[in-house]
Amino acid sequence: MALNVEYVFRETVSNLRRNVSMASAALLTVAVSLTLVGGALLVKRGVDRATVQWKGNVELSIFMKPDAAQSESDAVDRQLKSMPEVKSYRYVSKPEAFEEFKKIFANEPDVRDSLTVDQIPPSYRVVPREAEQTKVIGQRFDDTAGVFRVSYAKEEVDALVSVTSFLQIMLWAIAAVLLAAASLLILNTIRMAIFARRREVAVMKLVGATNWFIRVPFMLEGLLQGLIGAALAFAVVWVGRDVIQSRIAGARNDIQLFKQFLVTGSDVTGTGILLLVVGVVVGTVGSALAVSRFLDV
Amino acid sequence: MIRLRNVSKTYKGNVVALKDLSLDVAKQEFVFVVGPTGSGKSTLIRLLIKEEKPDNGRIWVAGKDIGQLSSWKVPLLRRNIGCVFQDFKLLPNKTAYENVAFALEVIGRPAHVVRQQVPQVLDLVGLTKKRDHFPNEMSGGEQQRVSIARAFVNRPLILLADEPTGNLDPSTSVGIMRLLDRINRTGTTVVMSTHDSSIVDTMRRRVIELDRGVLVRDQARGVYGAFT
Repeated sequence: MALNVEYVFRETVSNLRRNVSMASAALLTVAVSLTLVGGALLVKRGVDRATVQWKGNVELSIFMKPDAAQSESDAVDRQLKSMPEVKSYRYVSKPEAFEEFKKIFANEPDVRDSLTVDQIPPSYRVVPREAEQTKVIGQRFDDTAGVFRVSYAKEEVDALVSVTSFLQIMLWAIAAVLLAAASLLILNTIRMAIFARRREVAVMKLVGATNWFIRVPFMLEGLLQGLIGAALAFAVVWVGRDVIQSRIAGARNDIQLFKQFLVTGSDVTGTGILLLVVGVVVGTVGSALAVSRFLDV
Repeated sequence: MIRLRNVSKTYKGNVVALKDLSLDVAKQEFVFVVGPTGSGKSTLIRLLIKEEKPDNGRIWVAGKDIGQLSSWKVPLLRRNIGCVFQDFKLLPNKTAYENVAFALEVIGRPAHVVRQQVPQVLDLVGLTKKRDHFPNEMSGGEQQRVSIARAFVNRPLILLADEPTGNLDPSTSVGIMRLLDRINRTGTTVVMSTHDSSIVDTMRRRVIELDRGVLVRDQARGVYGAFT
């Protein structure tokens, strides 16, 4: 039996028209819930990017004793060069360190003038490949000859590492929970819409319509609702990202931190495609499942 | 056309609907099923379209044992059986024409067949002028005519009518009975359950009486209350 295409198309359109309130309820449910999912996914992308930047800025300093021998300094240099954990490092000589010192205490002449160049420790500024390796690298130099002190923002680095990994897990969880909630909400709305039309399904069964024949228009409707709802969510996420990004770009420097929450256009497109796929799949499968409940003989 | 052998059906809570019912209905016959409420008339009709399954016994419709029918073939069985109900079961958001056309469309009949058949059957039931009316714009008798048109548009072998005149006044009922009689004369087997004694008594057709699920009378050219 060939499917009567004209029938399926006409039935789908007229059902959507006649059940405007139910159809738009389903559509808006899809749109709102997928917007939340998309938002959560994009925030997660932003945090990922920011995390990479924050971690990239972690540094540790190996201060040599001011009177350390050149050979001791060379040994540290060689050691750093050989370590795979070290991404880069540079040597800050006594005069450079002294300039820095003077700049830091520019407003306190008493302190500034209390030291001479020779009393200032030279140092190695080391950038680790991964923020998590900072501690390991530091420990290697704690007892090395000629090293005065290894210094890094120990607690801050630890906090950064644990906070960002926690944030990422949290955002994944939020996105997953929202996705599950969205699916259930969409399913439920479709089920209500179909429940409102169970008389129609009963008549179709009575006159001998096959189950697939009954299902197809409902599935097509679900597909359309899912697609349009997801497209709306896509648009909202897109515009929302633009607005937020331009606000941040236009802001003064004191919220420089937020500029690292960069979300690129391709992130949004990728998320949008995911939303469309989810909308279509949940809409179609949801309708098929919902109508099946009324098809059992 | 219809054959039941030792059919029993009990609903939840030990409500006996049919008990060891055996019955034959020949092709082109017109059969009244009478009996008080709860005697099993509606259950009989539901069993014939396989909306319910019997606990025991076998049922043949149009030569096929419907107990052996796989579930995907049930729609094909139902296409051979037209059904008319007391409450019409029309779709309120479709016009008379659309309600009838719907029955053809959902079994996949092509559009040109629909366009040809629907006006024909609406003419048969005398509703050509009301074809674009919605059910709530029609009288009970007219709505029942639409529902008969819908049941008959596919030219089924069998027409099952479950108290089709139950909601109608006597004069309207007569019109409906004339219509069913005409359909019967085209060669369609008609099984009709009813409470309406005057209809049964005027028609003088075969009468089957059920009482608490048991066949108590099977009489050719019978009347409604033979033993009272």
